[in-house]
Amino acid sequence: MSDEAPPPNPEPDRATPAPAPGARPVPLFSFGRVATIASGTVTQLVRMKTFYFLLAFAAVVVAAGNFNLPATPAKELSMIKKVSFGTMDIFAWLFAIVATALLIPRDQEDRTLYTILSKPVRRIEYLLGKLGGVLVVVGVSLLAMYAICAVMIGAREALFVAAEVEAMTADGRYSDAEIAEQVGLIRQQGLRAELGIAVLASFFKAAVVAAVTIFLSTFASSSLFTIIVSILVFLIGHAHSMATSFWLHETNNSVFVQMLVKLIKILIPDFQLFSFSEGIVQGEPVVYALVWQMGAVTGAYLLVFLLLSLLVFVDKEF
Amino acid sequence: MKRLFQILPRPLLALALLGGFGLLRTPVEQGLRTRLVEANLLLPPPAQGALEQMGQSALMGTLGGLRPLVATYLTLEAFGHFSTKSWDSLRQTYQIITSLEPRDETHWTSVVWHLGINATANMETSQNLPAFERERRFREYAFQAIELAERGIAQIPDSVAIRIQLAEVYREKLKDDCAVARVYGELMDLPGAPGYSRRFHGYFLARCPGHEEEAYAHLMGLYREGEHQHLPTLIKEIKNLEEALAIPKEFRIPNPDPDLMRTAPGEAPASAPSQLQTLPGGIVVP
Repeated sequence: MSDEAPPPNPEPDRATPAPAPGARPVPLFSFGRVATIASGTVTQLVRMKTFYFLLAFAAVVVAAGNFNLPATPAKELSMIKKVSFGTMDIFAWLFAIVATALLIPRDQEDRTLYTILSKPVRRIEYLLGKLGGVLVVVGVSLLAMYAICAVMIGAREALFVAAEVEAMTADGRYSDAEIAEQVGLIRQQGLRAELGIAVLASFFKAAVVAAVTIFLSTFASSSLFTIIVSILVFLIGHAHSMATSFWLHETNNSVFVQMLVKLIKILIPDFQLFSFSEGIVQGEPVVYALVWQMGAVTGAYLLVFLLLSLLVFVDKEF
Repeated sequence: MKRLFQILPRPLLALALLGGFGLLRTPVEQGLRTRLVEANLLLPPPAQGALEQMGQSALMGTLGGLRPLVATYLTLEAFGHFSTKSWDSLRQTYQIITSLEPRDETHWTSVVWHLGINATANMETSQNLPAFERERRFREYAFQAIELAERGIAQIPDSVAIRIQLAEVYREKLKDDCAVARVYGELMDLPGAPGYSRRFHGYFLARCPGHEEEAYAHLMGLYREGEHQHLPTLIKEIKNLEEALAIPKEFRIPNPDPDLMRTAPGEAPASAPSQLQTLPGGIVVP
């Protein structure tokens, strides 16, 4: 065994052979290569029939649109929105976890990873391409879900407005101003442009989740491990801000628990912060400065977790 | 540096980077959280009591970021309690719902409506309970509705809908005209208050003992706004107050008493006879 010849090193990062005379130098970083890997990832995910979950989502939205509770039109619209956007949020982050967790192991199983890395492709480009592909699919899925949800909300809103106007004009007791006021109440809970920002909030959350998952998948031994750990990290990241006071109260502000809570807050992203779609869905006005800041925080998470992934992945032997 | 990078174990480096990023982002996120909560875009953590009362699955859902979905599920559960007239369970469920989504006005109006109108109506008509118990529960549900409405108003100080629902409980169930006048008085200047709220404040104030002069001044203020306010009830209430306060004839409003304008069956109408038709049997059709 010891006298076997060492296997050829396919990694251009570590031992780049001297370019042949006349050959074009390989650029350190190429967006073209990232885009190629991203488009390959999108194709790979589409072939996994991932978009079929939209059928399940449509079923949930239709069910939510037919609760028929004894409630005002505004309340019914509010419930449809909450269920639809809540489900959209779950689908987005769950999809981000599962899709990202599957990608690197799948490439390893299919041996496409070796082919890609034997080419002049930097590992950061590979990771960025994979993450970019997942984010494109998550973004398209969110837009498709939003379209389904918008059709339902728009249809119900039109129905409620027509019924309300008909009832109020038939009575003849209400002035145009009163009718407009009543219609305004329904429209406030209906389809508004601000709901697009709620979709963006879900996208931010899914993007951070995908970045965390890609980091976990760089050292995980299996997809299952990555999925389980990612979901756990997500749940802890979502609960820690809410559970902290509860936990501290239950343990009489124990020093140990305080330390533990601080450690968790430092190591695990605060996913609850990304739930600002809840307020928008309830009809609160959007503060765009805060949306920009959340975008910057998302960018910082993506950058740091990509660097972390690279740190583990750069020396990984396959 | 490069050598140090190669010597140090990668997990240690990753942990250091993660920790450093965590230390940097925590204060930034704390500030963002405060601003998002202030802008009502992010919900504050639910009250201690709400977490303790929740079932295991609801608690897990809430902690796992499914707060709006848990609230919606509990709303459906509350509807089940309404269908079976389980009023105490309904109140408990709404206590959790309102803790989960304290800024959602519809939850507060629903629980006030359920307890203040439906539960009390059930106690008025129930055949299963002795009269004393029904009366006791009637008041209990009405006061629970009032307490919840006040909690809702504390959460959403500009809420018109919660106040309208609260006024309904005082008016329909407790027949407390002074309280109705107070609630309409609070809501009439709020943004989005219905046009009738200023009139209702005056009508109920007129029926609140000791407030007749205040009610007269308020209603006269509305009357002086113009023809659009000269509604039959407003004129009738002013006429009643003129009598009660013994207002001199020259200061009284010139409008005829709307009740006297009504025609008795078989009689010719007092005003605008040309617009009315009398059908066989003395039925007057406007």
